[in-house]
Amino acid sequence: MKTKIIATLLLGTLVGIEAATAQPSEGDVDVLLQRLRELEQRVKILERNGELDQEVAMEQAKTIPTVSVGADGLVVRSADTNFVFALHGLLQVDSRTFFDDGGIAGNNGFLLRRARPIFSGTVFHDFDFNFTPDFGGTTVQIFDAYLNYRYQPWLQARIGKFKTPIGLEYLQPDPVAAFNERALPSGLVPGRDIGFQIWGDINGGVLSYAAGIFNGLGDRRNSGNVDFDDSKEFAGRLFTQLFKKSEVDGLRGLGFGVGGSWGDYSSASATGLPAGYVTDGQQQFFAYNATTTTDGEHWRVAPQGYYYVGPFSLLGEYTISAQNVRQAAQTVLLRNTGWQVAVGWVLTGEEATFNGVTPRNAFDPRHGKWGAFQIVGRYSELDIDNDAFPIYADPTAAKAAQVWTVGLNWYPNKNLTVKTSYAYTTFDGGGTGTTPLAAVTRQPEQVFFTRAQLTF
Amino acid sequence: MKTIWSLLWLGIALSVSAKDAKLLNVSYDPTRELYQDYNVAFAKYWKEKTGVTVKIEQSHGGSGKQARAVIDGLEADVVTLALAYDIDAVAQRARLLAPGWQKRLPQNSSPYTSTIVFLVRKGNPKGIKDWADLVKPGIRIIPANPKTSGAARWTYLAAWGYALKQNGGDETKARAFVQQFYKNAPVLDTGARGATTTFVQRGIGDVLVGWENEAILSMKESGRDEFELIVPSISILAEPPVAVVDKNVKRHGTADVAQAYLEYLYTSEGQEIVAKHHFRPRNSATTSQFTAQFTKLELFTVDDVFGGWQKAHKTHFADGGFYDQIQQANR
Repeated sequence: MKTKIIATLLLGTLVGIEAATAQPSEGDVDVLLQRLRELEQRVKILERNGELDQEVAMEQAKTIPTVSVGADGLVVRSADTNFVFALHGLLQVDSRTFFDDGGIAGNNGFLLRRARPIFSGTVFHDFDFNFTPDFGGTTVQIFDAYLNYRYQPWLQARIGKFKTPIGLEYLQPDPVAAFNERALPSGLVPGRDIGFQIWGDINGGVLSYAAGIFNGLGDRRNSGNVDFDDSKEFAGRLFTQLFKKSEVDGLRGLGFGVGGSWGDYSSASATGLPAGYVTDGQQQFFAYNATTTTDGEHWRVAPQGYYYVGPFSLLGEYTISAQNVRQAAQTVLLRNTGWQVAVGWVLTGEEATFNGVTPRNAFDPRHGKWGAFQIVGRYSELDIDNDAFPIYADPTAAKAAQVWTVGLNWYPNKNLTVKTSYAYTTFDGGGTGTTPLAAVTRQPEQVFFTRAQLTF
Repeated sequence: MKTIWSLLWLGIALSVSAKDAKLLNVSYDPTRELYQDYNVAFAKYWKEKTGVTVKIEQSHGGSGKQARAVIDGLEADVVTLALAYDIDAVAQRARLLAPGWQKRLPQNSSPYTSTIVFLVRKGNPKGIKDWADLVKPGIRIIPANPKTSGAARWTYLAAWGYALKQNGGDETKARAFVQQFYKNAPVLDTGARGATTTFVQRGIGDVLVGWENEAILSMKESGRDEFELIVPSISILAEPPVAVVDKNVKRHGTADVAQAYLEYLYTSEGQEIVAKHHFRPRNSATTSQFTAQFTKLELFTVDDVFGGWQKAHKTHFADGGFYDQIQQANR
């Protein structure tokens, strides 16, 4: 009826000019009505086909993988999100300038500290993987190569090569470490080892745990991808952010825990000993005698904690690495200890976290935006067990080192970081003789670092 | 210690016996209302018989799409789809049930049937009486898309079968007929329910060509004032099959209840529910109760005319098959 009225009106309008002489007949109205209905059908068909095309497009979109390129790298994700392949990268170009170093040659200069393409992802929703070689330094190494099964966030299993769960600062991802180099206690824990680990974050990370079995490594060593003896090392860590879900801002960033390991090396091997302990400037200040070897038990304990609130950060840890060593017929259990306290303050007000600082505004001087700035300071010590001297340690090595470090970090954006720091290291003992150890420990080490870092 | 173990086992045993059963029925579009009613009846029956409370979940969509979902991991305990071909796909591609699944239940595992009929607007303004009227110029027909819909495949084969019979088995003429048929289809929805919506709610087209149960349901819902059911002289006997998904029920521990769920469809209670939802029952006693609802017509089967679903699919619906060729020619 509505259509008929419109048709009549329309026809009336069209012929209205001649209305005085001609009136539309019933037949004319019916013809026009029919045409209108036809037109209406065509419009409806077009609309419906448009909807169906949209439905088809939406269905197709569900099967098309998404590719995203951004601050988090290149990520290809299947439409059902069960498969993810990501390419990330880390590049650190450093400089080290030593002052009053007694003329040690070859320690000043630019270097590629880390150059890592990172290939990571997920297959079948629950299986994550990571493959990270490193082209920095003097040798190409595989740093991370592992598979991770995620049953739930609180129950995961990892197998492959990855960081042994002991030291707090060592477990902090490389790109977000607050200083150019890690502190002395990180030298008392193993690096990346090959093994199997059960781990998880319970209640959203209020309690985190990790427990695993590994090939076992000397302090500060990375696995050469094969075991050096038949025995294995057990390592684990418990860490709680007890107030993570608290309403109180000032408590949420508090975390503390303890890591540790135990192993009993079956062979007398120098590989099971530390590769040597180094300063912030990565110069060796302690080494065992070349003929000193492992002799059984090696355990570590590392109580640790941090506190992050607003722009403020505080991180501390104490580490004991106790190892039975042998020199000819003599053996001894040596307890080397280290500790550190590091503080930081983000001058531009951004929040400091264990996972780094994200600038509120990316660097854009045209619009008066400068990124984020953070000042950091740290004191750390490492003490060698007195029983190491004079039999087991290199007699020209230092018995202890103490380092003061201050730094300024600039975060132009999420991907770039520029770091500068100055470290002043003093030594107890050492300094006598002509060995490289003596050359390093003869005077305090004063080194100025810079770093330009790209991560994505 | 022994006492503690005994108590523990007792607790486990009690918790198992008290556990409710749960089933997922993955079905096609137009069975939504049927299974809503049927599930209530079966749950009551199962509770009375076994004391176990069974909760049945339903999933509906285009038959082919639902089969793909099960293949991709949707944990169906039973599938009640529009075509045997779709359940074959679940059996062959995902190996979730044995190839001989169709012989496990009576009547080729099809507890109900349906056919393809026409729904026209009140007064049948275009004078549509049989298949031949659908290919006349100016007629707009609304079938679903055979590439995505089970109902649409039955429709396609019904039209083809009619044309074959009219032309003494001449395949070329049958193909020309079906080509004209789809030339008159301005909209091809992805499923039977979508086609019904297009015709009934959107007011598009002169005739809906699809499931008999959908047509009767549409008439009922519209109060019989807007549409008329037209039963053609001949159509296809659609036999929507049902099957237990063996591997899933084994994993879920629901084999017994799933089997009983499908067997109950063949009982007089099940058949009555089937008929109330306008599917043709298999049981002759129930059929006689609903004689008025189902017009008698000549019916042919896929096996008789097309040599079975596998052959029909390969010839007509596979990529590059007759349907694709027809659509290409119609562009």
